Amino acid sequence: MANKAIPETGAARGQPKRGALVRLCVAAWVVPGLGHLMLGRKWRALILFSAILAMFLMGLVMQGQFFSTSSESYLETLGYFGELCVGLAMPAARFFGYGGGSPLFASADYGTACLVSAGMLNVLCVLDAYDIAMGRKP
Amino acid sequence: MVLTHFPALVLFSFLVSVVFGLLSKDTPRERLWYGAKVFAAFIGIALAVGWLMYPLP
Repeated sequence: MANKAIPETGAARGQPKRGALVRLCVAAWVVPGLGHLMLGRKWRALILFSAILAMFLMGLVMQGQFFSTSSESYLETLGYFGELCVGLAMPAARFFGYGGGSPLFASADYGTACLVSAGMLNVLCVLDAYDIAMGRKP
Repeated sequence: MVLTHFPALVLFSFLVSVVFGLLSKDTPRERLWYGAKVFAAFIGIALAVGWLMYPLP
């Protein structure tokens, strides 16, 4: 007999298959908010997409720097992966001609922080989408 | 676009607060309230730390 004092876990409710979870997480990474949209949370998806994209665009407008892995600095390599966490937006910006910012621009440091923060916020979104899919959150 | 410190701080804090509020709480009312608290904390702590650093060379 089920003990009602103990809440049902995702395992008891039937967890989604691993392939579906991987697809969900990849989608959530590629486009901020897409994971939530796939789970039916439309408004949440829209707000997350808007906020993270706004953060990323703010970084571009302030001439934030795109890090690269060719640098010998571990921090710059970490920054590269931080920026990559925002998904397709970073390669799209490069494709459309964003040269990686100008370090001499007055707001460039703020812009770089915004670019990395957008990536980090998207990581939180991916984790949230995963938790919702696993039944841990509404 | 050149933003000075404070507008950049406000904009950054707002965007982060929106995401934090949305992800951390479950009901719209709780999300709004938590997001507002996070936003206020960002601005308040930044101002406080700024003033603490003011006497330093």
